[in-house]
Order: sequence, then structure tokens, then C-alpha cells
Amino acid sequence: MKELEKLLDRIIQRININLRELDYDVGPFIKNLVPLDQMVKFYAFYGITPHHPLDFVFRHSSLAGSYFLGKIRTRNSILYKSDIRGDELKHRGDVFHYQKFEIPVNRDEGIDIEDSFLVKTLVHNFSHDPETLEKFFINDTVAAHYANIHGSPSDGCFLGPFATVDLTTMRDCIIGAFSYVQAGEIGHLNVGPGTVWVRSPDDFNFLYHHSLPDLDPYINYGPGRPPQGLLIDFVRDRKEDFKRVFDVVKLDTPVMVPPNASLDRYAVIKPKIHISENVLVAERAYLQNAWLGKGANAQENCYIINSRLEGFNVTAHGAKIIEADLGKNIFVGFNSFLRGRARSRLNVGDECIIMPHTIIDIKKPLTIPPGHLVWGMITGSDDLSLNSMTLKDFSKIDGGRIHGNMSFEGRGARFVSAFRERIHHILEANGAFFNGRDRRGHAQKNQNISFNTIQPYTDGEFEGLFPTIIIQP
Amino acid sequence: MSDYLVKELMVPLSEYATVPEGSTLFDAVLELEKAQEEFDHTKYKHRGVLILDKNKRIIGKLGQLDVLRALEPKNEELSDVDQLGQFGFSSNFIRNVRKQLRLQATPLKGLCSKAAKLKVEDFMQAPSEGEYIDQEASLEIAVLQLVMGQHLSLLVTKGKKIVGILRLTDVFAAVFHTMKECEIIL
Repeated sequence: MKELEKLLDRIIQRININLRELDYDVGPFIKNLVPLDQMVKFYAFYGITPHHPLDFVFRHSSLAGSYFLGKIRTRNSILYKSDIRGDELKHRGDVFHYQKFEIPVNRDEGIDIEDSFLVKTLVHNFSHDPETLEKFFINDTVAAHYANIHGSPSDGCFLGPFATVDLTTMRDCIIGAFSYVQAGEIGHLNVGPGTVWVRSPDDFNFLYHHSLPDLDPYINYGPGRPPQGLLIDFVRDRKEDFKRVFDVVKLDTPVMVPPNASLDRYAVIKPKIHISENVLVAERAYLQNAWLGKGANAQENCYIINSRLEGFNVTAHGAKIIEADLGKNIFVGFNSFLRGRARSRLNVGDECIIMPHTIIDIKKPLTIPPGHLVWGMITGSDDLSLNSMTLKDFSKIDGGRIHGNMSFEGRGARFVSAFRERIHHILEANGAFFNGRDRRGHAQKNQNISFNTIQPYTDGEFEGLFPTIIIQP
Repeated sequence: MSDYLVKELMVPLSEYATVPEGSTLFDAVLELEKAQEEFDHTKYKHRGVLILDKNKRIIGKLGQLDVLRALEPKNEELSDVDQLGQFGFSSNFIRNVRKQLRLQATPLKGLCSKAAKLKVEDFMQAPSEGEYIDQEASLEIAVLQLVMGQHLSLLVTKGKKIVGILRLTDVFAAVFHTMKECEIIL
């Protein structure tokens, strides 16, 4: 255990050096985030498929309960129950389009994690930084529970619980709890909790701040204590269900899965599940009494409970849908929390975009009409009128608009079309449009993954650390 | 440049508007009005009030801008606007948001009565290191300090004691006068 303790101290020191300008000490925030004796309790595992590279190098790292797929390096890092999913990395020979440049990719891209501590974090997608095309790096970075590092190289950053950084290179930044950032490139920035920021320079800039008193019951986090709130309780209440899928080596598929759909063996499947064609259910997803229409997907850390999704629905990483009926082509962004009640269901009309990190938590029935953009915190119809707009009206914005706690500058039409293109791309990548021959995506490629496990030292100086492991074809 | 010394240009402390610590903004404005009526030194009027502690030491200055700043509504929305810049919003957008929020906020009349209850020390500017100047210093040094620190006035010292205020307007008048003398010589 001694070596592991030294490793954690080293990581804390390195991040503090990076964040010195912001006068931030991550030590009190992460020292007891996960008791280090947990690190010996869980194996790590990796996937083998014919569709993805098999190239892992793990050195001087603790990998407890973490999952790896693709080309991944870790060094001097602690990864606890994190998913490092390299199934969208660039391949040698690809051409990356950036502004007026067409940049050839010279070698397979890899995820490179060094001097970092990731807790129940998802790392996915690929580096969108034209300066580092072949290396999706995560250096000197701490990410707390259920953070998402999505296509976002990171150097010297601290991400609070349920924070998401999406398609953004970040250096020396603090991203507060439940904040979402998609801004291309950021540096030396302290983004407060509950911020939702989507910026494309010269095109648009969307900013929303959750009211902290309203956000606190859902997620709050401070020095010397682990994250607390309803979102943490919600996940903790279902923890035991995951224990079974991770403990048992061979599990029978408890539900009919069409041959062109994919249900990960590390997803929790409770009774009354319907999976249609081209559906993707990723690992650590949780389904209970859920109906998933054609091309719908449930990504990592998603929970879909007592709900029906009509088809071509994107339920992004960490999103939760409870007691709700969703029409077709609906996007529910990262870490969003949509909760109706058994007798007060939430209805979401076709083609709606629920922005990342939106909370809809209702006690009376609520219907969101088709074609709406929805953001922020919604507990009833008054909030809905303040925190939503038809996509048609939003597209008319040209200049600027303040709408409740939301500020928008730029061209609304560009914002809406960028979102639509992104949703289309996600569906495409997930295999929602597979026609039996073409347009294969994750739902088809991720079938028949086999999993191998690797184990840490269970005693002695290196207790909790994994030996150096190199896995290649 | 000139033979002017600071002590020849300054306004003596006794002629300047002062209020004790704990005074309201309204007290300060009344004191300023009184000082302006009594002060006949130049056509330029006083634009600030000095704040004194119980030992009669100067602990801050309250300028016209500070008073206006105090009148501005201080709500959460406006403090959020301050953050927009770091998120990449344009200055034009931020200006428009401010205008919009200002128009929605309490009218000035209501704010004035509220501001009259506010304490001066919450809005005054505490003097910084570069705001003190010796009374024997030359006009050149005074200009340098005003320009470098972008101050509207300097506190003039004699030994450890503050004896007066050197205002930008008086320094400018002296510089202007010197320039005119140069012109005549040329």
C-alpha cells in the first residue's frame, strides 16, 4: 500500500503545481475520495474485438474495477472503476479536417494517461485537438465520480463529480461539479459548479448557470468529504445490481437481443426490457422496465427506468431517464437527470434536444412539445417556459438573447444545426442506421466482445498497484 | 519643466470635504456640497470626500464614480454578468446585458434613498502606495505618479502627516500654464 500512497501524493502535488495560478489545493478534495484499500478489491478488465486495436501498456498504475478498450497507456496513475473506451480513436491513414487544414493521421491514436487519478470516470471519443491528433492525453488530472472526459485532452486539471468536458482541450483548469464544457480549447479557467457552456468561436456561445441552492440537493461537493446529493444516492441505491454483473464470469442474456443490436454483458438488465434493432446498450448502463425503439442507445452510466424510448434516441453518457415517455429522435445530453413520477409521467415530444446536464424533476405530469430545446433546472411548467424554446425560434436568434439564467450570443441557427449534426453523427457511430450491410457502428461492432481480467498485487509494498502489463495481439 | 512644487498646488486638508468612518453615503454627499460652496480657490469644484478614522487619519477616498457605483443595483444577475467575459462573450453583448438588467432593476430614485443608508467605507477606495506624495516634490514627480497610477488625486504628506490633496485638475492647470509660458518664450 505504501507505493500507492506515495503515488497519490505525487499526483496531488503535480496537479497543485499546475493549478497554482488558481490558488487551488486538490488535496483536501481527493485525499479520501476513495479509500485506497478499495484498490485491491477489484480486478480490471479489457475487451478484445476484431474491430479495434488491442494495444495496452499499464505501468506503475492502479486500475481497480476499470475497463479498457483499444489503444491505451497508463503510467503513474490511479483509475478506479473508470471506463477508458478507445473505440472511436482515429486510425492510421485517416484524415482529420480542421478549419482549412486536412491533416493526415500518421499512426493509430492512443489514449495516454499519466500522473492522473480518475474515479468512476468515462474517457471516450478521440482527440479533437489538431496539435495532438495521435495522442489523446490525460496528464496531471483528477476527475471525481461520474465525470466524463469526452474527446478532451487534459493537462493539469481538476474535474468535480458529474463534470463533463466535451471536445475541448483543457490546460490548468478547474471544472466544478455538474458542469459541462464544450468550448474547443480552454486554459487557466475556474468554471464554477453547475455551469453549462457550449461555445464555438465566431459561431455561437451558450451559457447557463444552475442556481447553486437548487443544485445542492442533487449534487454538492466540498473539501474533506465525498460528493453528496440525490444523484449520488440514486446511483448508490443501485450499486448492488452492478455487483452481480461484475462478480459472475458467465451471464446468460436475460432478454431477446436482435442480431444487429448490442447489449454489453456489464450492463444491468432488470425485468421487462425490450430491445429493438440497432440498439446499443453500453457497459454500466442500467435498464429496468424499459422499451428501447429502433436505433436507440443507452451509453455508459445511463439509467433508463420505467420508460419508453420510441427510437433513434441518444441517451448520452451518464443520463438518467425515469418514468418518462420519449418520442423519436430525442437527444438527452450527458449526465441529464429526467425524472417523472409513476402517476406524473414526463412526456418528451419528437425531435427535442435536452441539453447536457439538464435536470427535469417533476411531481406533476409534464409534456414537452415536439421540437424544443430544453436546458437547466425544470420542476414544473413555469420552469419549462423559462428554460426552453422551440428549435424554430432558437434558430431565429441572430445576435444575442438572455432567457432566464441562459445567455446566448451568435447565430441560433448554427447552434441548432451543430447539435443536429452531432446527434446524427452519434447515431451513425452507434450503428443506429445499420441496414444489414452498410453503416455499421458500435451496436454491430461491439457484439461478441470477449473480456479478460487483470489483477493487482494484493499484499506488500505494491499492494493495490498492478504490475507492468503489456497486452498486444 | 517648471518650478512648481506640490505644496503650491495642493488643496490644504482643512479645505477639503471629510467625513468620519461610519458616515452614510448621504452624509458624504452633503459634506461635499458644503465644501464646494465654501471653496473658492478655482472654478473646478471638489469631486471627492476623504474618510477619516477616529484618530483623524485618512483611510479612504470617495469619488463621484464610487458614489455612482454604490447606487448601482447589486443583484445576483448583475454579478453573473461580470463572469460573461471569461466565457468568451463579446464586450458588446455584455454591455447590452447590463443595460437590459439595469432597466429591469429598481429606478434610480428608489436606489438613492437606499444608498443614503449605505456606509462610506463599503465604497471608498483605500489609498495605495503610489498615492502619497511629499509636499516638496516637483510637478514632474506629481505628473509621473498621477499618470502611472491613473489617479484623480494624490495625498500630500509632510513627514508622516497628510497635509493636503493634490488634484489632477490643479496639476493639469499648472502644466497648461507652463506650456503657455514655453510658447511665449519660443
